[in-house]
Amino acid sequence: MTDTAADVTAGFGPAGAAGGRRSFMTLVRVETRKLFDTRTSKILTAVLVALGLGSVAARGLVAGPHFFTLAGTSAIAFGTLLPVLAILTMTGEWSHRTALTTFALEPRRGRVLAAKCLPPLVAAVAACLLALLAAAPVTAAVSAAQGVPAVWQVAPHTVLGWIATMVILTAEGLAMGALLLNAPAAIVIYFVMPMLWSAVGQLGHVGAALAGWLDLNSTTSALTSGEVSGGDLARLAVSALVWIAIPMAAGVLRVSRKDI
Amino acid sequence: MIEFQHVSKAYRGVKALDDVSFTVRPGTVTGFLGPNGAGKSTALRVLAGLCRPTSGTATVLGRPYTELERPGFEVGTVLDAGAQHPGRSGREVLILGAMLLGLPKSRVDEVLELVGLTGKEGGRAVGGYSLGMRQRLGIAHALLGRPRALILDEPANGLDPQGIQWMRGLLRDLAGAGCAVLLSSHLLHEVEQVAEHIVMIGRGRVLAQGTVAELSRGRGLEQTFLDLTANADRSAS
Repeated sequence: MTDTAADVTAGFGPAGAAGGRRSFMTLVRVETRKLFDTRTSKILTAVLVALGLGSVAARGLVAGPHFFTLAGTSAIAFGTLLPVLAILTMTGEWSHRTALTTFALEPRRGRVLAAKCLPPLVAAVAACLLALLAAAPVTAAVSAAQGVPAVWQVAPHTVLGWIATMVILTAEGLAMGALLLNAPAAIVIYFVMPMLWSAVGQLGHVGAALAGWLDLNSTTSALTSGEVSGGDLARLAVSALVWIAIPMAAGVLRVSRKDI
Repeated sequence: MIEFQHVSKAYRGVKALDDVSFTVRPGTVTGFLGPNGAGKSTALRVLAGLCRPTSGTATVLGRPYTELERPGFEVGTVLDAGAQHPGRSGREVLILGAMLLGLPKSRVDEVLELVGLTGKEGGRAVGGYSLGMRQRLGIAHALLGRPRALILDEPANGLDPQGIQWMRGLLRDLAGAGCAVLLSSHLLHEVEQVAEHIVMIGRGRVLAQGTVAELSRGRGLEQTFLDLTANADRSAS
């Protein structure tokens, strides 16, 4: 820092072609990097991968060589941690007040929020593919070790339904995070909801009907159970509207108008 | 060029800013001086498009901040040096900014050097930084895009005497190169040393503005400041 003036005065504005208006993909790349560049997020990602793969292997020892049973076990870890990752992505700017710099560099706040949604959703799909990839050798190994024939059969729509469920739960985390802008509150709501709905489901016909239409965990279960009826789709749509679309829309509106 | 035109901002009926008007010309350092709670931070956030004014307009380079084509190349801001993710390294913060602006990584090393952070310090998590180091990091981030205007909220906070001297030199260099610099402070002697133009604010209103020489005529800058803020408090209560 002997000669600061030389650098400072080396002309204003962008050098050469570097100064185009930011593209949406640049924002997505930056937000993807932010997802993995802090200590917390590195630990969370490592735990996510370790628990996902660990549960596939552990289930293999207990349940025998059933390919999709093994892969599907990772849903316990993924369904818990992916939404947390999503919530932290959405609330991070507010818990650390970095919104000040983020929205100063990109005043179009809606675009920033949209860019924040993509990486966790892609991570959900990637995590599922990783679990499927890991389940194959585990199934083969368990089959060989136990001398039991491996069961590979799985309907493609079951796999797709399973991946869709993970994506939907992650989206619920994004929506809760965007609405509340507060990680602890969003995480508590995300985890208390299933318990609350199972209690509501016990409250006679009305309670059961309510839970059947509004509990995302039960409406998504149709996706992996084989046949998806029109009624199942309607219930899934209504619950997704209530827990994803409406809170996300309200969250985007809130962030767009918020004084920082 | 930074311009406030009759900017008012009310929070639930309480006026945080009341008809604020002043101009920061290119090539000058303007000090925004006022006691804590006078409305300095609110004014700077309105200017940076982070807060919506109730009435009036604030413009940078002739346009409201949110309408700037590429704000990172036109205006540098440090609105809260403490507002950083503690788990991210200083260098990483700058890399994210450079990515967003489409600048090469070499620019990150340039600004780190410019603010006097070593490569080792840049690699450390911001959580372990002193406030002075965070101020330097904030300024490095603000200067990534070689902006023509600079908005700094309490930039001297946490800096040691050498740091303050360094900051003074840097801001003078920037102004010398034609940059419009607006910085806020609640400490008179800090502003006096770096700014040639001063805007005094109290209770959300501009109390006086002019060059240091104009404002200190007769009774000295400090007495002017104390008299004005005392008057503002009296008339408000």
